[in-house]
Amino acid sequence: VRVVVDPRQCEANAICVGIAPDLFGLPDDSDVVVVTRPVVPGDELAIRNAVRLCPKQALSIEENP
Amino acid sequence: VTDPRPAPYYDPYDFEIDTDPYPVWRRMREEAPLYYNEKYDFYAVSRFADVEKCSTDWRTYISGKGALGMIDSGMEIPPGFILFEDPPAHDVHRGLLSRVFTPKKMNALEPKVRKFCAESLDPLVGSGGFDFVHDLGAEMPMRTIGMLLGIPEEDQRAIRDGIEEVFHLEEDQSTPDRADYGSSPIMGAGFEEYLDWRKEHPSDDLMTELLNTEFEDHTGEIRTLRREEVLAYVGLLAAAGNETTTRLISWTGKVLAENPDQRRELVGDRSLIPNAIEELLRYEAPSPVQARYVTKDVEHYGQTVPEGNVVLLVTGSANRDDRAFPDPDRFDIHRNIGHHVTFGYGIHFCLGSHLARLEGRVALEEVLQRFPEWEVDWDNAVQAHTSSVRGWEKLPVFVQ
Repeated sequence: VRVVVDPRQCEANAICVGIAPDLFGLPDDSDVVVVTRPVVPGDELAIRNAVRLCPKQALSIEENP
Repeated sequence: VTDPRPAPYYDPYDFEIDTDPYPVWRRMREEAPLYYNEKYDFYAVSRFADVEKCSTDWRTYISGKGALGMIDSGMEIPPGFILFEDPPAHDVHRGLLSRVFTPKKMNALEPKVRKFCAESLDPLVGSGGFDFVHDLGAEMPMRTIGMLLGIPEEDQRAIRDGIEEVFHLEEDQSTPDRADYGSSPIMGAGFEEYLDWRKEHPSDDLMTELLNTEFEDHTGEIRTLRREEVLAYVGLLAAAGNETTTRLISWTGKVLAENPDQRRELVGDRSLIPNAIEELLRYEAPSPVQARYVTKDVEHYGQTVPEGNVVLLVTGSANRDDRAFPDPDRFDIHRNIGHHVTFGYGIHFCLGSHLARLEGRVALEEVLQRFPEWEVDWDNAVQAHTSSVRGWEKLPVFVQ
């Protein structure tokens, strides 16, 4: 499983960073959110919430990358 | 066991309730998670999960009819006033602003924000006290958003006061005067002159950018913004950039005075300040109630809300829901907050959240540097009662 940020949609509202600060990040020099590490077991709920609550629906889950 | 008390009553225009709405919101969450107010004919949801869910369902819970008190007034909402717009126009209009308020751009503003704070606070050092609202909370955000928009410094105060005027509620006045919105600065009135001048004299401000940006509108036409759209943007941003952060700074003064131990911790360790601001945002949401209008019948807790009704999303209550936050009425700068709903959720999520956080953090840093301790002058503190924000109108404090 992989979580993907669509940089054309992302507004850097950073709600996902609030939900999962160790998985999503907003570097100082970036206009969009980045995924900072691979998904590990136990991330599922945080990822689902982040995807659901993104104001721009810029996050998606790829089941079989 | 039957509760002998009457059913909870929530009235957003009642000053006594507004002074401390948390007890009634708690009762709503427990006893009436779908609340109905007969007097003003609105429904309200107050639990975290419900506020979150309704906020993200923009197809059912629409914003395009305006705020409570405007919805049934038939008032025309100008295009570009994204707070009260729905897709597809909303997404196009919001898209034009979405790169303006990114964290990167906001962080670049930090030295200016710090300078505005210093200019407000330095003259007060040694004076025995100051007012968190008058001296700082009403000044720095006004100068920051004024600078971003390109409003001349000498005109910023009059515009800010015009915005406050339209939100202000009088005691015993049941609803705000509906006629006032259209002719007020929040809808762009009064900005025409700057706009015309900016057209002739481009600068590096947002007004110039809004005038010149080419975009594809929701009908597929490639064009620049119309005059009325630019005015709506400017009015909305001036209002949103002033009122909300002013109240956040007022809550900072009040809540930290009540929690001197935590304030001392912040003085000792500045790295705790960002989470303290986050906890302040959760604990006292400056904009605690959002209005939506339902486009179809919806069901909550076995009751139907018929299409065309108003549903209030009580974000200020959701932030105090113990289903989402343990011991929610305790202020705790160390709390692992995760996410609160102060900036809303879904497509209307506050575009200025990074600016608000920056302003809140820098204001607190600059206050603590000069005034590590203060006490509220309660005899002269005045709570603001408005149709939009909740906070303090005057918060004078004594310092050592």
